[in-house]
Amino acid sequence: MNSGSGPMPDRIRRLLERLIQASVMERIAISVAALFAAVLVGGVLVFISGSFASCRSGLDVAGTTFCYNPMQVYYELFLGALGHPLEGGWSLTNYNLATTLQQTTLLIFAGLSVAVAFRAGLLNIGTQGQLVVGGLATAVTVVFAASIIPSGFVGTVVLIPIGVLAGAIGGGLYGAIPGVLKAYADANEVITTIMLNFIAVGITSTLLSWQFQDPESNNPRTEPIPEYAEIPTVPYIGFSGGMDFSLLALGFAIALMIGIAWLFARTSFGYELRTSGIQPAAAAYGGVNEKRMTVASMTLSGALGGIAGAFWVLMVHGSWLENVPSIGFDGIAVSVLAGNNPLGVGAAAFLFGILESGSNSIGTATDVPPELVGILTGLIILFVAMPEFFRMIGTRYIDVRPTEPARTDGGRAPADETTEDPRGADDA
Amino acid sequence: MFTLAAFMVRNRRQFLGGAGAIGLAGLAGCISGFGDESDHAVQIGTVYATGGLGDDSFNDMAKRGLEDAQDDFDIAITETEPSSESEFESAQRTFAESGVNDLINCVGYAQADALAENAPDYPEQDFIIIDEVVEEDNVRSYTFGEPEGSFQVGHLAGLLTEREFAAGDGETIPNESVVGFVGATETPLIESFEAGFTAGVEYANDDAEVVSSYVGEFNDTAAGQEAARTMYQNQDADIVFHAAGRTGIGVFQAAQDEGRFAIGVDDDQSLSNEDFADVILASMVKRVDTAVYSAIEDTVNDEFEGGVERLGLDDGGVSAVYGDTLGDEIPEEISTQIEESKQAIIDGEIDVPHEL
Repeated sequence: MNSGSGPMPDRIRRLLERLIQASVMERIAISVAALFAAVLVGGVLVFISGSFASCRSGLDVAGTTFCYNPMQVYYELFLGALGHPLEGGWSLTNYNLATTLQQTTLLIFAGLSVAVAFRAGLLNIGTQGQLVVGGLATAVTVVFAASIIPSGFVGTVVLIPIGVLAGAIGGGLYGAIPGVLKAYADANEVITTIMLNFIAVGITSTLLSWQFQDPESNNPRTEPIPEYAEIPTVPYIGFSGGMDFSLLALGFAIALMIGIAWLFARTSFGYELRTSGIQPAAAAYGGVNEKRMTVASMTLSGALGGIAGAFWVLMVHGSWLENVPSIGFDGIAVSVLAGNNPLGVGAAAFLFGILESGSNSIGTATDVPPELVGILTGLIILFVAMPEFFRMIGTRYIDVRPTEPARTDGGRAPADETTEDPRGADDA
Repeated sequence: MFTLAAFMVRNRRQFLGGAGAIGLAGLAGCISGFGDESDHAVQIGTVYATGGLGDDSFNDMAKRGLEDAQDDFDIAITETEPSSESEFESAQRTFAESGVNDLINCVGYAQADALAENAPDYPEQDFIIIDEVVEEDNVRSYTFGEPEGSFQVGHLAGLLTEREFAAGDGETIPNESVVGFVGATETPLIESFEAGFTAGVEYANDDAEVVSSYVGEFNDTAAGQEAARTMYQNQDADIVFHAAGRTGIGVFQAAQDEGRFAIGVDDDQSLSNEDFADVILASMVKRVDTAVYSAIEDTVNDEFEGGVERLGLDDGGVSAVYGDTLGDEIPEEISTQIEESKQAIIDGEIDVPHEL
C-alpha cells in the first residue's frame, strides 16, 4: 500500500507522520511519559480493585475498605525487581535482581529472534515454538552427550557449547519450515508460525512421554542435565549458584545482540536482509535471491529462538519442562518495543525482566491477586509499546519522503533512515 | 459535557482543594493507613498449586487452614499463586530468600522437585509439602490416604449406579452401570485416586464399568466439562468423580447440563460450590486445612520438626462426606454399607490398591 490508497483522515495521517519523524530522544521521552501514564492508570485501578477485595487491614475511606496500596504495589514492581535497593542490607547480587537479569537474558534472545524476522519483512509469531523445540533438543542432547564426555571442567567446556548449538539447530530447523513454506508455497508466515507453535507443543510433549520423561519425577520433565553442564556463575563478583542466573549468559546475550546489530549494519547479508524487508522488489532487482533470503532469515530467527530455549534449560531449570513459559510470545512485545532495533532489544528486555521479577515481588509482598498484577504489567507494555507500534504501522502505510533532496546516503531507503541512523533523522 | 466543564471552572478552586485533600489523604494512607503486617509474631509464606485460589477444592482448603490459624494465632501470611510448574522453584526461593518467614507451605505434589532442590540450600528454613514426600530435615511432608477415601466414594457410586435414583437435579441410568473418573495429570498421586475409586466401584458391583479420562491440567475448566460431557452423553455414565482441582468445576457444569451426578474432591464441594449442590452426591474430603493448621500450630509453639505425617481414613484425614443438599436422599441401606466398608478398611479387612 502507498499513500494514495484508502481514505485516511488528515489528523490521523499527520499524527502518524509526526510519530514516524520523531527523533530518538523524542521517542525515548514518549516512552517514559507512557510509562508514567500507565503507572497512573494502573494505580487507580489497583486502588479501586482493593475496595472489592476483603482483607483484615486496609485503608478506610467513607465506609469502604481499600485493601491494596498502589504505592506499595509499584514500589514492589520496580524496586522489588532490583531487590529493594533503598532498604538496609542490600547487596548487588541479590536474588530478585538475579531473576530480573535471568528474564532479561532469555528475552534478549527471544526479542532478537523476532526482530531479525521483522527486519526481513517477516512476522515470526513462532519464536515460542522454536524455543520449545530448541529447549528440548538442548536437554536431550546434553543428557546424551554427558554419558560420553568426561565430567568436571572438561564437561562444562564441551557440553555447554554443544547444548547451545543443539538448541540453535533445533530452533533453526523448526524456523526454516515456515520460511520454506513462505518462499516456495507462498504460505503466509503469520498463519504457519502460529500453527507451528501448537504443533511444537504437541510434538515435544509426545516425545517427552514416549521417550524422555524423567522416571524420578512426578512432573512432566526430562532427565536433569548434570550439574557441571549448567551455565557456571562467575566466582566472587557473580551471583551465587542457586539463583539460576549467570553473568556469563547475560554477557553472551549482549555479545549476540551487538553481533546482530553489526550483521545488519556492516555485512552484505544484513544489508540484503533489510532491503528485502523494506522493498522486496528493489532487493530482487539488486540481485537478492528472495526465496533464499526468506528461508535464511527465518532460519536465523528460529535459531535465536532455539538459543533462548537452550539457556532456559541450561541456566534456569537444568532440564526441559513441558510447561514452557511464554518467553517467545513476550519476545514479540520486546521486539516491537525496541522498534526492531537489535540494540533496543536489550533495553526492552530489561524492562520486561523488571516487570516479570517485580510481579513475583508483588505476589509475595502484597495480597494483590496475580490476575491484577498481570493487568498492571500489561498496561505498562501496552502504553509503552503503542507509540512504537503505530510508528511501525505508519511506516508501512504512509510514504514519508525526506524533506530535503535525496543525497548519496549509501542507497538506504528513506523510510529506514529514522530507525537506522538517528543522526540522519535529526538533521532531516 | 458543557455544564460539567462550566461547573468545573466555577468550582475549580474548590475542586482542586478537594482533590488536593484526597491526594494528601491518599499519600498519608500509603505511609500508614494500609495495615502494617510486619508486627506479627510469626510469618507464614504459602506457595499454592497451579489450580490457584478459587478452585473451591485443594488450594482453597489450604487457604482455610491458614485462615483458621490466623483466627487462633498471631500470624502474618504472605502467599503466591504460580501459574505453571516452572515457577515453583523461584516462588519457593523468593520466600526463603527473604528470610522473614518462619514456615513456608508448599501446596501440591508438583512442588516436590523444586523443594528437593531448595530445601538443602536453606537448612534453617522450615518447609512443609502437601501430597508428596521430600526427605530433608527441615521439611515436613503431609500425605493422605487418597485411595481409601476414593474407595469410599467409589463404593457409593457403584451402589447407586445400578439402581434407580433421582435427587436434586440428577438421576441415574438404572440399566447401565457405568461411572466415570476425571483426573488432572497422569501422575501416581492422581492415579491413586482412580485406583481407589475403581476398587470401590468393583467392591459394590462387579459388573460396573469405570471410564476414565485425564485432561492434563488442574486449571482447565473447559476441558473438564468436555471430558465429563463425553462420559455422560456417549458412555452412559451417570456419576463422575473428579480429582482435578479447578478443572473439576467443569465436571459439575457438565453434570448439571446433563442432569446427572458428580462427586467432588478435597473439600465438601456442595458447600464450597453451592451452585452445583443439586448434582454433588458426595465429596472425598481431604483435610489439607488440618495439615496446614497443625504445621502452623507447631511452628507457633516452636515444636516444628521434619518428617512424614500421614492422614488417613481412621483419623478423619480423608472421608466420604455426603452432599449438603442430596445427602439426605441417599437411602439408609446404602449409607450403612458405606459405613461398614469404612470400618473394614480401617481394620485392614479390605485392601485398597494404591496403583492402577
